[in-house]
Amino acid sequence: MQTDRWHFPVWLWYALLCIFWWGLWGFLSKIGSAAASPLQMQILFTLGMLPVALGMLLQMRGRLDRNRGGVTYGLLCGVATGLGTLGYYAALQEQNASVVTPLTGVFPVLTVVLAFVVLRERLNKVQMGGMLLALASIVILSI
Amino acid sequence: MIHWMVYASFAIVLWGVNGLFMKLGTNRISARSMVIWVTAGFVVLLPFMWMTTTLSGLSAAIIFVGLIAGAVNGLGNWAVFACLERGAKASVAIPLTALYPLCTVALATAFLKERPTALQWLGIALAVAAGAMLSYEPAPATSPEVQVHCVQ
Repeated sequence: MQTDRWHFPVWLWYALLCIFWWGLWGFLSKIGSAAASPLQMQILFTLGMLPVALGMLLQMRGRLDRNRGGVTYGLLCGVATGLGTLGYYAALQEQNASVVTPLTGVFPVLTVVLAFVVLRERLNKVQMGGMLLALASIVILSI
Repeated sequence: MIHWMVYASFAIVLWGVNGLFMKLGTNRISARSMVIWVTAGFVVLLPFMWMTTTLSGLSAAIIFVGLIAGAVNGLGNWAVFACLERGAKASVAIPLTALYPLCTVALATAFLKERPTALQWLGIALAVAAGAMLSYEPAPATSPEVQVHCVQ
């Protein structure tokens, strides 16, 4: 049972932190891409992620989770993101960024549909409206 | 020649499916472990990328910017995994964190002296409204038993 009273969930802090880090990544990418090709930037991003992963491993004192399903999904996340980015760069070679970027920005729709079907997640009406506004915003900010 | 729409659709499908993998992964292992395994997934692609390009010709400053960008991307990955680990729905967390260009626009305005266009201002306003609406989660109601107990 739920009330209409809004509360600030813990996960929201992490979502805001993510927006800040990825926003900073977008800003630095903008600076770097003035002189480096997208593929060169992708190589640098991968190399730059290594110290963060190493830091996490040290923080965990080497006790890395080895659940087979979790490891598989983790590896798939990296490969899918990397391959998706390469597909995005390939599209950019033949079409303007002002067309490709807003189009690829609609990817959260697929996640929402898959989460609905596979994870049986349900959004309330306010969140549903928020998702539509987010899509419009992502498309506009990508132009 | 493959049409650009095929490449763009490929990106949409992989990034969209990735959102599901993120949630399924954090349901099984910790956010920090996910960062490590995701990075390993990126590293798998590194030799293929290196076959088509090199870093020669790039200045030390650009290499430094690229590496720092990678590091903050890794920290962003950790934050989204921690968000999912702490109970966020994939259908909320993924569209919400996809609003990160809002922060990029703010940083470019502050440090590169770029001025948002009227359309971008509209995008910013929509992003703020979307963020507030996506994060709307009604508080769980206190059961009558607990309320009585509190009164006592």
